[in-house]
Amino acid sequence: MKKQNSIGSRLLIALVFLFLYAPILLLIIFSFNAGDSSVVWRGFSLDWYGKLFQNRLIMESVYMTLLVSILATAISTIAGTFAAIGLYSLKRRWRSPLMTVSNIPTVNADIVTGVSMCLLFGVFFMGWSSFAGWFNAQELSLLGHILQLPERLTMGFTTLLLAHIAFDIPYVILNVAPKLRQMDKNLIDAAQDLGCTWMQAFWKVILPEIKPGVVSGALIAFTMSVDDFVISYFTAGSSTSTLAMTIYGMTKKRVSPEINAVSTLLFVTVLVLLILSNVLEARQEKLAEMRSEMKPVAQRKPILPPVFRKSWLRRMVAGVCAVSLLLVVAALSHVTGSRPVVNVCSWGEYIDEALITQFEEETGIRVNYQTAESNETLYSLLKSGGGDYDVVVPSDYMISQLIEEDMLTELDYSLIPNFDLVDAQFRNLPYDPENKYTVPYAWGTLGIIYNENMIEDEITSWSAMFDPKYAGKVMLINNSRDALGIALLYLGYSVNTTNEAQIREAYQLLADATNKGVYAGKIMDEVFQVMEGGNAAMATYYAGDYLSMLENNEDLRFVIPEEGSNWFVDAMCILKDARHPAEAHAWINFIASTDAALANMDYIWYGTANREAIEQYPEYYLENYGEELDQETFDIIQTPPEVLERCEMYLVLPKETRDLYKSLWIKLGV
Amino acid sequence: MKSKLNRFAIPYVVWMALFVVTPILLMVIYAFSSVDGGFTLDNFTSMGEYLPVFTRSFKLAIIATLICLLMGYPMAYFMAKEGPRFQRVAMALIMLPMWMNFLLRTYAWMSILENNGLINQLLGALGILDALGTDHVQLIRTQAAVVLGMVYNYLPFMILPIYSVIVKLDHSLLEAARDLGANSLNVFRKVIFPLSIPAIISGVTMVFVPSVSTFAISRLLGGGEELMLGDLIEQQFLGGAYDPYLGAAISMVMMVIVVVCMVLMNHFGEGEEQAVML
Repeated sequence: MKKQNSIGSRLLIALVFLFLYAPILLLIIFSFNAGDSSVVWRGFSLDWYGKLFQNRLIMESVYMTLLVSILATAISTIAGTFAAIGLYSLKRRWRSPLMTVSNIPTVNADIVTGVSMCLLFGVFFMGWSSFAGWFNAQELSLLGHILQLPERLTMGFTTLLLAHIAFDIPYVILNVAPKLRQMDKNLIDAAQDLGCTWMQAFWKVILPEIKPGVVSGALIAFTMSVDDFVISYFTAGSSTSTLAMTIYGMTKKRVSPEINAVSTLLFVTVLVLLILSNVLEARQEKLAEMRSEMKPVAQRKPILPPVFRKSWLRRMVAGVCAVSLLLVVAALSHVTGSRPVVNVCSWGEYIDEALITQFEEETGIRVNYQTAESNETLYSLLKSGGGDYDVVVPSDYMISQLIEEDMLTELDYSLIPNFDLVDAQFRNLPYDPENKYTVPYAWGTLGIIYNENMIEDEITSWSAMFDPKYAGKVMLINNSRDALGIALLYLGYSVNTTNEAQIREAYQLLADATNKGVYAGKIMDEVFQVMEGGNAAMATYYAGDYLSMLENNEDLRFVIPEEGSNWFVDAMCILKDARHPAEAHAWINFIASTDAALANMDYIWYGTANREAIEQYPEYYLENYGEELDQETFDIIQTPPEVLERCEMYLVLPKETRDLYKSLWIKLGV
Repeated sequence: MKSKLNRFAIPYVVWMALFVVTPILLMVIYAFSSVDGGFTLDNFTSMGEYLPVFTRSFKLAIIATLICLLMGYPMAYFMAKEGPRFQRVAMALIMLPMWMNFLLRTYAWMSILENNGLINQLLGALGILDALGTDHVQLIRTQAAVVLGMVYNYLPFMILPIYSVIVKLDHSLLEAARDLGANSLNVFRKVIFPLSIPAIISGVTMVFVPSVSTFAISRLLGGGEELMLGDLIEQQFLGGAYDPYLGAAISMVMMVIVVVCMVLMNHFGEGEEQAVML
């Protein structure tokens, strides 16, 4: 057995390591790339590291990951150790079933644990909100005057931490348990017979015996917490984001190369820690070996430096460590707390981020800016108790649905003087006929974006989206309303039809195209990466986003097909029971101002509803870029009336039709 | 006097009731409920529509598990035969990627596999693409890419348990076998392999369970086209089709399947606790 390995087996080991490390090495190499490509090398630079430390989103999620992992590890190590001791002092009859239950989270798939936790919190929030409603309504009770309970709770840091503790504890127990089993049970009895209290028995007898198990348990708990994505994803809600969740969010849009820099830093940190611990371990072993050779075993001394042998000093060091840990935790939580906050949820690549900084500087209100993927996802987030937002920016039809379900609050327009600047064309639209809930954010149209180099014909019709000629080159938009919408448009039906036969016909069109392999994938904001990188030839997406892509890839073209299309308005609303209504109004008013509208329009290339901004934009463009704004571009931003005539706005569909959409959409994915 | 230490179990029992048992009970209740709160079996009967998703998930997860086993077993076996220093370094190197996040590891493959990604650029530069007459080889957004992602992420879970069993094998057993005239193939077949079966079982479960339930890998590397069980569940909770009742039902089915697998597996191997430990 101890024979040396052949070259063949060494080669295999080397290959497996190559497989494990090649992708990581690539990440590291490209973190030093001057350009923003992960494929083409443009020279060495440290830019991404500099940018990383200015990227608030990434840095905050790194803090959050560390904070949650450290806290969860500390709590679950202590709790798990006590629980293991408790379980092992029970009779076997009780112990085995309890251990089985305890092991459930380690055995279950992460997603099942995550989803069931998500349900637990959701149900608790529902119960809480009716309790709080009842409690606050008790006018007579003395408490009611002093104490108002918040009615809407959402998932956040607390639920995330609870979930992490819940899946960490079993791992600690699993590591401590074998050590307890090895321990002679009579030791405890003996200690107590000799006059130890159970507390002393624990500190003096049990703990030293099980220490290695506790340490390895803590290590595994930490590994699990840091590595976890799935459970966090289902329990963190929207305003709390771990690094994994941030990266997941980014992969849906443009992944910024700062991620490469984060990976590199993480990798190097872990590598250094591992090397240190290995070197220490090796040295200790060697020392121990030398000592045991020289002296009889009984006289072997601890390998700690002599000063540490004094127990009071050791305790002091431990105390200092604990205090500094607490300080770190406090400092970390301080970063995220205390200032007034507004939680905003919008879409990807949909704001000039300088505006956020500007708003924060002007008002001192911190903007917690998040994005959702589509209206449907936003709805799910709100429903599942994950959406801890004040301001949301849904599209027209979703606004109707939210109003219908009493999820929005009426705005106080006296706090939004800039609403006066909204052009009459964008007021009292069908989704909010009396304009009580909304202030328009931006508007645009849906169309086909295609790469001239990859598609020879000029695209003029939605038929291109279903044409087997382009098999494997087309990206379908990944939300039911838009995808079925373009099929309805192509068939000549209204996008708001409730006729089941028509909708099924549209579905069939999509299903046939899917079966013929027309679609290379279904994407939302991934479209930026895919189209800019020339990884697909054609996609359905929104006008403004096309102009953003055009900046990075000149071969792209945009067309509103002759069959007509959808035009949409995304408007800012405040959720019912929003926790920061005053800040929310301030944010809405700020965004509705002419300056913000101009900056935003220039950045996201979507149309604005601000009358002054529309008039001033060509001038603004000339000033900023030193050239005239060409009419073609402007027409894509502010679609001219003659094109809008061909376009239809989505209206909210009745419940049965929505259910039909939902089931057909899932069926398409199957 | 019996020790009072068992009182430590009480808070944990309460905790388990709250955060382990209740969530699962809720999931079961949701699975049998309809939107208006009544009892229904619709969530299960409508699941037939998703049969292709079930078969796809199981197919890909089984393939990934087999590949992990075929790569992981020899790896663990040969590693255990190296010197102690080599072993320590190798173990550290296998664990290391796990401290980087799972999503970072998956993301690393995206830019490699894209149509304009590293592999395709390389093939292009070598003139292979021209020879094939295409502008790219489709790597990302395929089932193979999803399997690759699973193997890459979960391979350590296969290597670690097998390695830790093989390295602890009693050498006198192997010597005895050899003394009794077994050649090295027979030593492996008759002694080493049977003794490592419990480790294989725990490795297989540790790779299979996360593989069959993944949604991030299929989303990132499968391009949303290769819908898997995890995606289906995610869609019902935080995705585009809000329906926690159906989501709970699918999760429950998945849980039952996993439990059945575990019971079957434990039937083979005896090590109950090693099976879930790293």
